[in-house]
Amino acid sequence: MRAEPINKLSKKGLRVWRIYGVFQTLIALLLSIGVGVINFFTGEYIWLYIVDLVIVLIIAYLLIYLFPKVRWARWRYEVREQEIELQHGLFVVKRTLVPMVRVQHVDTEQGPILRKYDLASITISTAATNHTIPALITAEADELRGRISVLARVAEDDV
Amino acid sequence: MSKEKYKLHPISAVINFVKVLKEMIIPFIVVIAVNGFGGSEDSGHWSSYITYGIYAIILIFMLVSGIIKWKRFRYWFEEEELRIEYGLFVKKKRYIPFERIQSLNYTEGIFHRPFGLVKIKVETAGGGATKEADAELTAITKVAADQIKLEMLQAKNKLPEELNDSMEVQPLVKEERRAIFKMSPKDLFVLASTSGGVGVFFSGLAVFASQFSNVIPYGAIYEEIVVFIRFGALIVALAVFVVLLIAWIVSVVLTFINYYEFMITVEDEEIIITRGLLEKKKITIPLSRIQGVRVVENPLRQLMGYATVIVDSAGGSLAEKDEKIRLLPLIKKSKITPILQEIFPELLFNHQLTRIPNRSRKFFYRLDYIWMIPVAGAVSYFFYPFGLFSLLLFPLSYGLGVWQQKTAGYYLNERQLVIQYRLFSKVMVWMEKRRIQSMTESTTLFQKKANVSSIITTIKSGVTGASTTIPHIEKTDAEMLLNWYEPYHKTTIEKEQPVD
Repeated sequence: MRAEPINKLSKKGLRVWRIYGVFQTLIALLLSIGVGVINFFTGEYIWLYIVDLVIVLIIAYLLIYLFPKVRWARWRYEVREQEIELQHGLFVVKRTLVPMVRVQHVDTEQGPILRKYDLASITISTAATNHTIPALITAEADELRGRISVLARVAEDDV
Repeated sequence: MSKEKYKLHPISAVINFVKVLKEMIIPFIVVIAVNGFGGSEDSGHWSSYITYGIYAIILIFMLVSGIIKWKRFRYWFEEEELRIEYGLFVKKKRYIPFERIQSLNYTEGIFHRPFGLVKIKVETAGGGATKEADAELTAITKVAADQIKLEMLQAKNKLPEELNDSMEVQPLVKEERRAIFKMSPKDLFVLASTSGGVGVFFSGLAVFASQFSNVIPYGAIYEEIVVFIRFGALIVALAVFVVLLIAWIVSVVLTFINYYEFMITVEDEEIIITRGLLEKKKITIPLSRIQGVRVVENPLRQLMGYATVIVDSAGGSLAEKDEKIRLLPLIKKSKITPILQEIFPELLFNHQLTRIPNRSRKFFYRLDYIWMIPVAGAVSYFFYPFGLFSLLLFPLSYGLGVWQQKTAGYYLNERQLVIQYRLFSKVMVWMEKRRIQSMTESTTLFQKKANVSSIITTIKSGVTGASTTIPHIEKTDAEMLLNWYEPYHKTTIEKEQPVD
């Protein structure tokens, strides 16, 4: 068995994901309210209100509690001298290997919510693919970006 | 370095005009057709001529703009750059350093031929997400084209860092090029008659029909059809057959025109493809830009022992959508290996594949059942007696799954990875380790239980990437592949030796 990559995301990332979950749940809630209103004026099936509510509750449970938790626990990354290894996924576990030689550029990005928690995401681009590490402490992300870009420059094509 | 500014051949004004006309023709026909069907009440009145007046003005405008575009276009060589100045209203300049130029592609259209002209397309390295990235010289003489090539080679050779490792190019003394592959008329016919062009033609027809959907009087047609059906099913069948036949013939003719005299030569580390009857195209692909080679056999062609070879090339513009270049559009399977070996001497084409374990067979068809069960259930229920035929989907999907599992496999040695898989057509991909941009091991919960994993590799193709999956292999093999790809590990693979 290959060992898992060692680094985990920032614990605050989990909180941010829960906030995203809340937003997504709010959208679902709006939709279900819409369905409820239509039902009120046209059908008035009592069971439909209940189904509606249950669905929203399930979505809330999954998006706010379960999915972020599993995703966060699964997320690992490791930046080594010659390569970057990532592991993530909810139902499908993906482990990706990106050799330093292939790295073309590294970007960090920070949305309003991430900024509030002093987090940033870091995106590693090769000629054909993009790989994002979603929630790192800003200082750590900056340091990592610098390190990757130095390593990527040093790494030599040995083939 | 001369600073004389060159113009294009005047014929390019006509070509510009025709090009715009070609782009406009479909909307034009639609507009005319709609007008013709819709507002024919007060024909004869002077106002009905206004539309024609507008068409005439548009045509004249297009012609004039074609001429102005030609008048404004200049190109010259300065400071090891190809410099171009152009623009209809806004004057634009583009400077392309010669070292950035990846290839020059030549096309000879019907307008070019009589005057001995060519169209040159300058392709630059990767990068450009817009089609602005490249330059196009609509029509210049062949002498001028050779001059550009010469300037480019001189500029490249002058660069100190690219000092002559076998770069002693003498561009004017061309050795006799030997064709590596030529398509025989028989192959051309097989290609044309088995191509998917038929489907393309039909989808085109459907699109065209949908354009008219507002105009066509469906009610009237429906009644017509009822009469038609009474007339006899035989005639309907005949009509369908005739339409199919015509579509097929059109596709055969189109393929024939496009691939006429298809030929490949290799020269100066570049593959040169020439093809075409009316429009002679010459495409050059630097070997260094080729990221992967794939052999595709659709089931029909597989039956006849034919295959297509496609190469993935890096960079280029989005305008040239054909980044997956058909290197050998159609060839007997048995003849592929020597040709590919000659073009790509570093790759190994004789090898034994590692197959997919039998216990992962279920993963090939099981996922389809998720949508098939409700669909087949609903169809069987609503269309009771005949709907039961939908249950045939299950054995079919199972069969396809088994077929996919039997086909799939991979081979790897120190430097290259070979993947074979089938969705419907059988595909075999060769890629060098150094061309693989990233590798991902993907494991679903079910796969984890069965101790298998899939491997996804991505190479660059065009401006984006092309991913290839090795499906459902042993977990240990998947990890071995990751180790193989990992630069640090330097694992030696001695699992199997090439067969001969």
